[in-house]
Amino acid sequence: MSDRIGVYVCECGPNIADKVDIKKILTEISAFNEPPEKIIIAKKHKLLCSKEGQDFLADEIIKNELTHLVIAACSPRDHDITFMNVCKRTDLNPYLYKLVNIREHCAWIIPDKDEATEKAIQYIRAGISRVTYQDPLIEKELDSIPDVLVIGAGIAGIEASLSLAGENRKVYLVERTSSIGGKVTKFEKILPHQGTNLDIIQEKIKAVQENENIEIFTESEVEKAIGFFGNFEITLKNIHNDEQNNEFKVGAIVAATGFNLFNPEKIPRYGYGKIEDVYTSLEIEESNSKTGKILLKSGKPPKSVALIHCVGREERGYCSRVCCNYMFKIAQYLKEKMPDIKITEFYKDLCLPNKADQEFFVDTKNKGVNFIRFKDIAVKQKDKEKFIEYTKMDGKKEKISAEMIILAPAIEPAEGSKEIAELLNISLDETGFFQEAHQKLNPVATSIDGVFIVGTAQNPKNIPDSMMDAQAVGGKILTQLIPGEKLIPEVIVSEISEAFCTGCQTCLSVCSYGAIYFDEDRNISIVNEAICRGCGNCVASCPSGAAHAKHFTSTQIYQEVLEAIR
Amino acid sequence: MKEQFTPKIVGFLCNWCSYAGADLAGAAKLEIMPSLTVIRVMCSSRIDPNLVLTTLLLGADGILIAGCHPGDCHYDKGNYYARRRFALLKKVIKTLKIDPERLQLSWVSASEGKRYAEVVNQFTEKIKKLGPNPIQTNPYL
Repeated sequence: MSDRIGVYVCECGPNIADKVDIKKILTEISAFNEPPEKIIIAKKHKLLCSKEGQDFLADEIIKNELTHLVIAACSPRDHDITFMNVCKRTDLNPYLYKLVNIREHCAWIIPDKDEATEKAIQYIRAGISRVTYQDPLIEKELDSIPDVLVIGAGIAGIEASLSLAGENRKVYLVERTSSIGGKVTKFEKILPHQGTNLDIIQEKIKAVQENENIEIFTESEVEKAIGFFGNFEITLKNIHNDEQNNEFKVGAIVAATGFNLFNPEKIPRYGYGKIEDVYTSLEIEESNSKTGKILLKSGKPPKSVALIHCVGREERGYCSRVCCNYMFKIAQYLKEKMPDIKITEFYKDLCLPNKADQEFFVDTKNKGVNFIRFKDIAVKQKDKEKFIEYTKMDGKKEKISAEMIILAPAIEPAEGSKEIAELLNISLDETGFFQEAHQKLNPVATSIDGVFIVGTAQNPKNIPDSMMDAQAVGGKILTQLIPGEKLIPEVIVSEISEAFCTGCQTCLSVCSYGAIYFDEDRNISIVNEAICRGCGNCVASCPSGAAHAKHFTSTQIYQEVLEAIR
Repeated sequence: MKEQFTPKIVGFLCNWCSYAGADLAGAAKLEIMPSLTVIRVMCSSRIDPNLVLTTLLLGADGILIAGCHPGDCHYDKGNYYARRRFALLKKVIKTLKIDPERLQLSWVSASEGKRYAEVVNQFTEKIKKLGPNPIQTNPYL
């Protein structure tokens, strides 16, 4: 049977009708007869995307027994799906249709009507040539698993687990250390209202422990995570016991691996690790939270304290956002305990991003804390006395003495973030934090469908922002991974021809999604269609021409090229 | 004679950024010279060297590849691959005695309708100055 191609030109109201000569288009297209066995039915309609226009198209497809459909109208970004759905209403496979954009690419940009008409004819011819080389593609359905793996049981991981766990959804919460709660459990108080921390975090920890839909694995790490959105196979290993492995399936993964503090020993001028009574902020928080005291190594309370902000800021290349606030908090701890204490805070820049921060800063200042902005700073020791030598912004060099020095080291990604990123096939940004799918539009998703990031694993952030992330991920997963619902994976994917594949595995190295695996027995690369997103990078990289992009095959593209240069 | 030369230019546009940028140029009714024909691909990394070389050998006067700005690729890193392939292709087409200026790679985001129009118009002017692809007159190439 010869191809019966329906070509329908949409007037799009006056948008197309006024700018091109549709009558001329229809005459020329009807006569476009290459190769000759094609039968072309060319018609126009005033608005194909309207309900009436869609009914008209469906009728035409059936009545004319069309084998292929070409629509000359707007951008596929506007109505590709509309017309694919019309095809689905009939027996025409939606991948045997092509939308040619004669509105944005002709009518609206070429002022001369004759030129615009010629260009439209060229585009439609290209569409006709292409459509006959298109293949019918079948959409598949896959069972999805609603359960979720959460990696890291800090405050972000805990909140994500609580948002997700429910009657139809189990959460596997994996933690590397021996207890859950993360770094927050080490803080005496939490900002901004200085509420006692333990009650709040303990409540969350209890809620997780009591939730029968959350299974907690402490002292465990993820060893394997293979699969795709809706169906990941997970293997956990116990850190201390090689034989104690757990295997299960989940539909989505949340990485909540948290942060580490920059090691101030890397910058010798701060004296950390060499000079006595130089501490990091977290060490002070821990001691205060455990003993309720902040004391010198000698056991005496300090009379003077220097708090140094921005430790490692330049080395790491970013501001850690939360240090200013917690340094004010530490200053306030000290003032509460020892009202006569002399406190100086040294900073490079102040970061006060949240609505309560300014007030907190002023309050700290009013309690008698001295603030000095520095250009350069060093901690020195002479005999038993410690000095802070600093250069002020105006270039003046000064020094003061202090008995205790507290550093605010930069927040950096937790140890093992790189390994987790490799395991999950997600990217790290240049600072080593997990890379989000889009900084502004999609901040908790990653380039891998079904893998999400929350909390400080993504960026330095405070507790409320981490909570927000966790709740956002809850929303995303609850709406995307519905129990009992089938998943329809992308149809426009790559395929690799067994006959042509030489097993060089170049495609494996260029795939951003880990969608290609190598079959050792058959010595060929194979595309996992459920993971492939259809970019076509493997196609362009394949030296033996074995990889093909479905719906964007070289043959199909050449058909368009040939019309473009005819 | 040169006055009448209407070049034939193929524009490979990635679906997510540059094709959307072209749509925006259309929606803004920006005037764009009609010499370039748009071919939509999902990602600039789909453009394999064969496709570019064959298109030139078939007689295209110019090829524009347009994708998302570095760092903005919808598929993570596709545009970096496109950039590397482009750099190599520039060298290869020189050996075919085709002016490497006939091949251009531009980053156009979904919000850069105006930039898309400028890129296409400037590239078209450039190709007009270069004249027809020598392949059309030199059968030995």
